[in-house]
Amino acid sequence: MKAIEIKNLVKEFDGIKAVDAISLEIEYGEIFALLGPNGAGKTTTISILATLLKPTSGKARVNGYDVVKQAAKVRHSIGIVFQDPSLDDRLTARENLEIHGRLYHMKRDERKKRIKEVLKMVELEGRANSLVKTFSGGMRRRLEIARGLMHKPRILFLDEPTLGLDPQTRRHIWDYIEKLRREGVTVLLTTHYMEEADHLADRIAIIDKGKVVALGSPSELKDSIGGDIIKIKCNDENKMIELLSSNGFDAMMVDEEVIIKARKAEKEIPKIFMLAKEIEIKSIMYKEPSLEDVFIHYTGKAYREEGMDEKEAIKMKFRRMRR
Amino acid sequence: MINDIYAVYLRELIRLWRQKVRLVTTIMMPLLWLGVIGSAFNKAFQMPFGGDFLSFLTPGILVMTMVFTSTVSGITTVFDREFGFLKEMLVAPIKRESILIGKMLGGVTQSMLQGVLIVSLAILMGVQFKGIAAIPGMILTMLLVSIAFVSFGLALASKMTSMEGFQMVMSFLIQPMIFLSGAFYPTKMLPTWLKVGVRLNPLTYGVDAMRYFAIGFHEFNVAMDLIILTALSVVLILIGGHLFRKS
Repeated sequence: MKAIEIKNLVKEFDGIKAVDAISLEIEYGEIFALLGPNGAGKTTTISILATLLKPTSGKARVNGYDVVKQAAKVRHSIGIVFQDPSLDDRLTARENLEIHGRLYHMKRDERKKRIKEVLKMVELEGRANSLVKTFSGGMRRRLEIARGLMHKPRILFLDEPTLGLDPQTRRHIWDYIEKLRREGVTVLLTTHYMEEADHLADRIAIIDKGKVVALGSPSELKDSIGGDIIKIKCNDENKMIELLSSNGFDAMMVDEEVIIKARKAEKEIPKIFMLAKEIEIKSIMYKEPSLEDVFIHYTGKAYREEGMDEKEAIKMKFRRMRR
Repeated sequence: MINDIYAVYLRELIRLWRQKVRLVTTIMMPLLWLGVIGSAFNKAFQMPFGGDFLSFLTPGILVMTMVFTSTVSGITTVFDREFGFLKEMLVAPIKRESILIGKMLGGVTQSMLQGVLIVSLAILMGVQFKGIAAIPGMILTMLLVSIAFVSFGLALASKMTSMEGFQMVMSFLIQPMIFLSGAFYPTKMLPTWLKVGVRLNPLTYGVDAMRYFAIGFHEFNVAMDLIILTALSVVLILIGGHLFRKS
């Protein structure tokens, strides 16, 4: 049995396919990331898996239970941290967890013990009796993660866990998610931050316009586009490209730089120098491909983290304000 | 199911406790009505049943305050939707009905506390209630009014997405209902065309029943008052429940 099985999942809103025939299998114990720009269908997918939305067609099983027919069992199996804040800020940290424990039918002693454990895990034990109102954005996020884990779910959904947080706090949240791996919790996270998926995930599904465009571990994905990226600045780019192309290199110009895909850059660079004796090379560098290069490779377009419309930008601002 | 309802209700109780200052601040308006208007007109008005105006006014103010408090408590669901806690409850393995009932109980509790506070103040001001005998009937009427208008608030909250909408409903529906309910004067004194509004207004019967149980004066059949109030509660619960489930 897989932790999550999705088959041909489709969700339409007013005839527009937000999720377009996605199929995925996620193993127990895995940290799996859905990576894609805003509006790619990540949150819709998670909402269906969490039984908050019904799929238009297709099937999904979570912890072996059908998300439509066995919704109650699915809900018992999962914990979820929503994209938008969902704590009651007039309650203390402990009260938020206490209510959560009750909603998940935990016994009194069990609740007491577990509240201690999860608060310790996210290093908030000192603030157990403070009102959530007084918490910073990062602390709230940590408390939400603790709450998601309160009832010992086998599977945890994290929808954009570090959205709107500063880089330092983001690192901090990453540490907690890493800890979950050691505890054997299956994590399905959505993110539009490349480095987040790269850093955390065992496997990544890159999603664009409701479809899975690439699937694999971060290194598999990077390898799949064929080795390294070499960037050259020189005085005559066109001549350089012509020269390289006629010698079997895969070269193109992007932003006044010559970009070359090469299987083993360190072996190809001397060859380039040999070929391009006539051209003055100002600088040359090579790097392993990033997930960004992977995204460009599979979708044929640049990945813009800030690629959102005005309405979304306002929503984001509002979200940040509340954190 | 009971435990699930309690979990939802417990949160409402904690929130209520945290906002206990608000219970006192929202008492200001009824206090002014009773203390200023009530006292000022006490001598000026000859009441048809022979009693004083303050005693006549008190049940009306009681119903008015509870209607406001109950309806506003429906706002908490809009807040929950805006601030996300509703989602936390919606993904929990509990029934939608448990959330609804837990929230309703929270609103009813708040409204009842408010009612008890006003009655206590009225006693301090010298209002003559019917004594111990008044208690069961008043509590029954208070409960029916609270349940009806908490449900009404929930129904509104399910349909509305902003606080501005609430202001509209308060000004254009609730306030006219209160002014046409006979809360401040005997409805006999109104011109005929306004009496139609009075008879169509369900609140009229809430005020009438409350006044009967509190001080013994009534304009309509009290059994009919209670039947109308009960019917109103049931209908509003069903509508509120339906809209809440759908949203």
